[in-house]
Amino acid sequence: MYLNLRYFGACLLALIMSFAVQAATPTLVVYTYDSFTSEWGPGPQVKTAFEARCSCRLKFVGLEDGVSMLNRLKLEGNNTRADVLLGLDTSLTAEARTSGLFDAHGMVLESWSLPGSWQDDLFLPYDYGYFAFVYNQERLANPPSSLRQLVEDEQGPSILVQDPRTSTPGLGLLLWIKKIYGDEADAAWARLSQRIVTVSKGWSEAYGLFLKGEADMVLSYTTSPAYHIIAEKDSRFSAARFSEGHYQQIEVAGLVQSSKQKQLAREFLKFMLSEDFQTIIPTTNWMYPAVLASDRLPAEFRQLIDPSPSLLLDDKLVASKRKAWIDEWLEVMSR
Amino acid sequence: MLEIKQLEFRYAGASAPAMHFDLNVDPGEVVSLIGPSGSGKSTLLGLVSGFLAPDSGQILLDGAAIEKLAVPSRPVSIVFQQHNLFPHLDLFTNVALGLDPSLRLTRQQVSEVTAALERLGLEQLQQRKPGELSGGQRQRVALARVLVRKRKILLLDEAFAALGPALRAELIGLVKNLVSENKMVALLVSHQPRDALIASTRTAFICEGRVAALDDTVALLEQSRLPEVRNYLGTL
Amino acid sequence: MTQLNPRAIPAGIVLALVGLIILAPLAGLVNLSGLPGYEPGDLRFWHSSYIRRVLSFSLWQAFLSTLCSVLPAILVARAFALQMNFPMRGLLLRLFALPLVVPAVVAVMGVVSVYGTGGWIPFGKSLYGLNGILLAHVFFNLPLAVRLLLPQWQSIPEHHWQLGDQLGMSAWQRWRYLEWPALREALPGVMLLVFMLCLTSFAVVLTLGGGPKSTTLEVAIYQSLRFDFNPARAVVLALLQLVLCMLVAGVTLKLQRLPEVEITLTSGSRPQGLLQKPLDMALILAATIYVGLPLSSMLIDAFGGPLLQIISSIYLWQSIAKTLFIGLSAALMSVIAGWFLLQYSASLALAGQTNRARFIDLAGSIVYVVPPLVIGTGMFVLLSSHVDVFNWVYPIVITINALMGLPFVIRCLGPALRQNHARYHHLCQSLDLQGWNRFRYLEWPLLRRPLGLAAALVAALAMGDLGVIALFGTPDTATLALVIYQQLGAYLIPHATVTALVLLLLCLGVFWLLERGIGGKPDA
Repeated sequence: MYLNLRYFGACLLALIMSFAVQAATPTLVVYTYDSFTSEWGPGPQVKTAFEARCSCRLKFVGLEDGVSMLNRLKLEGNNTRADVLLGLDTSLTAEARTSGLFDAHGMVLESWSLPGSWQDDLFLPYDYGYFAFVYNQERLANPPSSLRQLVEDEQGPSILVQDPRTSTPGLGLLLWIKKIYGDEADAAWARLSQRIVTVSKGWSEAYGLFLKGEADMVLSYTTSPAYHIIAEKDSRFSAARFSEGHYQQIEVAGLVQSSKQKQLAREFLKFMLSEDFQTIIPTTNWMYPAVLASDRLPAEFRQLIDPSPSLLLDDKLVASKRKAWIDEWLEVMSR
Repeated sequence: MLEIKQLEFRYAGASAPAMHFDLNVDPGEVVSLIGPSGSGKSTLLGLVSGFLAPDSGQILLDGAAIEKLAVPSRPVSIVFQQHNLFPHLDLFTNVALGLDPSLRLTRQQVSEVTAALERLGLEQLQQRKPGELSGGQRQRVALARVLVRKRKILLLDEAFAALGPALRAELIGLVKNLVSENKMVALLVSHQPRDALIASTRTAFICEGRVAALDDTVALLEQSRLPEVRNYLGTL
Repeated sequence: MTQLNPRAIPAGIVLALVGLIILAPLAGLVNLSGLPGYEPGDLRFWHSSYIRRVLSFSLWQAFLSTLCSVLPAILVARAFALQMNFPMRGLLLRLFALPLVVPAVVAVMGVVSVYGTGGWIPFGKSLYGLNGILLAHVFFNLPLAVRLLLPQWQSIPEHHWQLGDQLGMSAWQRWRYLEWPALREALPGVMLLVFMLCLTSFAVVLTLGGGPKSTTLEVAIYQSLRFDFNPARAVVLALLQLVLCMLVAGVTLKLQRLPEVEITLTSGSRPQGLLQKPLDMALILAATIYVGLPLSSMLIDAFGGPLLQIISSIYLWQSIAKTLFIGLSAALMSVIAGWFLLQYSASLALAGQTNRARFIDLAGSIVYVVPPLVIGTGMFVLLSSHVDVFNWVYPIVITINALMGLPFVIRCLGPALRQNHARYHHLCQSLDLQGWNRFRYLEWPLLRRPLGLAAALVAALAMGDLGVIALFGTPDTATLALVIYQQLGAYLIPHATVTALVLLLLCLGVFWLLERGIGGKPDA
């Protein structure tokens, strides 16, 4: 009994002291998506690297995805504890801008490995990728060579896609088809839907089903095969190169307007574009780092397909049309 | 002495007129209540024990009104037809719960429980659980608990209905002794006229929510001119 | 002299809290119109064919899933009830609690392993659609219904069986006169529970449904709140779902009959014809195979995964601790709240106010259909301007999980508690056996078994929860369910299967611990 009490007391003391220590050093709070913070994501390495140089604590809050982060910030408004949001993508930046909850990063932009030029006073990209259909070379010998072929070949491969209402790649495919087909996107979806095995809630479900052999191809990223090559030494998987080009996803971070430690937050954004951060990205987030030159990438990334030209719709257009496009998609797919 | 004075009660939402009871029970006396099903016998017991609240009227024990007391603080012990005992507790504990629900018994109380069990011939069985007993033994345990509780009013709600005639007679005899030894007052509800003959000098016939007749038991059972009584007894 | 029923007070407090936890967030969400970036929602969606389609599909799939789960469950539960002695009976019953705690994503993978293109019983592409939804929902709910219905057979008094035997009743007659009346008490409630579970099912419907044809109301709510960020519309849809469920509940519970027979604990053997045993064993075998196949495919996957690497990770152990903490706290809270509600409803039932008693049970259960996303987001809105939400993540997650567990507590504990109350309440009153003493000497010994089952179910459910915990974000350690999701999201599918196995074993352990620890030895 005595022992227990003493043990309890010691724990309590330790707890109080740890609070005291926390209060003394500043803590930078970063909202990001869940897989960024996980043990296998970039989070732990980024935290160690940044804390080593900032004499502060870096606290990641992992939310479901970019949409959740933005919603959470809107809900909290100026009461938010977040200093930085990391992990919005280009389909959300317009909406994020109109929320008025972000402050200028104030950085001069220099050398990007990101194709095209990046001009944005609020958001800074840290990595990017391209949507693509991934397949197993042993199972599918002749993948389609263009999006049009995928859509229009009725004998084409079966595919797994994600729901644009709930997932980022799902929305990406919607925009990709919009970019290629324009006003005829609904007809394209009607043709494609014949070969869609299922529309999953998120990327994980679709990719899991694909690995179980439920379909010939899955909507994912051009960089997905790199995971299998590097982590599993398995080179059976490849992304199909489409001649029209691949739709691009750019992941960005922004400085929260109400942050009380903007100095520290800007330091973090700067760190985000530094080599220390950028070299972590390829093999943890499995995306292309935004700043790092391509010859600094792991060698295996050179085996990946060349996604050019990169396709992207204007973010303001996406913000204003997204709902109508999703409704149109729903209409076609529910038939 | 128990006095039930102009006790009125009406079930919420019932269309029947209010029940109305007047009855006196002398110290040491067991009054039997007989009457058709639904006539109000159990209602009367419910009112005395406090499970039902009267609309008006009084229940006096030795001159003090008890009808407003909460169930546990009434000077009442009840024996039901079944479920008088907790199946997972041994006999000693079942009886002891009657003395102190928290089971913190003084030495004095422990010996009271033992004495009560002895008085009912159960001293060999105190470690047993109710499931191992016969029906008659179970009701004896319930009576042992009545004994330790030392409450003045005893209500028996068809307590022995499930037992054979000889056993019933034996237990009713036991009740009579307990009641007269301890100057208690008892109401016994039964469907067996023979029970009333053994138990009570006086018997009340309850009909349509009233004490329709209160008389010497033999007189009531054998000579009553009331058609309701004769109808009930099947002697019409 | 009208006295306030003393049980009304704690039950009233619980109900008020439940109401507050449900309604305040809804109100908070509707009140959001001042938010930056928020446009007042177009609430005329009632006319939209989309919502009407979603509505009819939600109800249809939930209805079919309920039928396909509960009807076979009656047969299987009966087989378990009649065959009291066969090897591994206890283990099988505990196995039947597992599907409930498997995170939906993992279960979907299991179902696909069995019935997918490359599976053991390939359905091919026709798996995706109503087939897949039904297969997965039956996998989740059949075993649950078996667990919840089984006690009804134990409630049939021994002498009724003997009477039936003596009268020479055939198996059908025994069913008709002995078993069905006992079953009728619990069946409507169990059906309602399964219906609610299927109505609000989300990941299963989205993944196995084949496409947006198979959109449920729950998905529409999720979409409104997340992608459209239209809280008002989400609230209206959530209320619509609530009202629908209440209508269904109203109809279902009308069918409920409280039993007139009394419950005695029995353990004797059951009279049975020659064919009964082989038939029952065949049924049990079939159900076990059905439930076991997806589970064993998970097991096989897991043993192919990096077992040692994961089990030796500190991170895993931290998240096991967190998962346990959430699960056990939610179970405790839910059982306490359910206890007070049931005490009150039992006392109402004893006083003949059955309708009010049913209403209390229903009010406690129906909260399940308000999506945690809506409650959670609403709570967030309410709390974030007053307190630091980071410090409130666990209380909120535990509270919502406890609420979601209430219907399970009410189902498990309700019948036994009502019976106990009806039988001993008057005696207790006359003996002044109240409060703690009554609990200690009467209720605990007699109710610990259903209490243990209820606690075990809620704990397991909370441990497998993903919806609530994912909503609030994870400042530090993730729970196991969330870890599984993180691993799936990071290509680490073999790792995820191992973690899923760890979660399953943990749930099995907690189940054993609570069911035995609280419930005592089965023969006690």
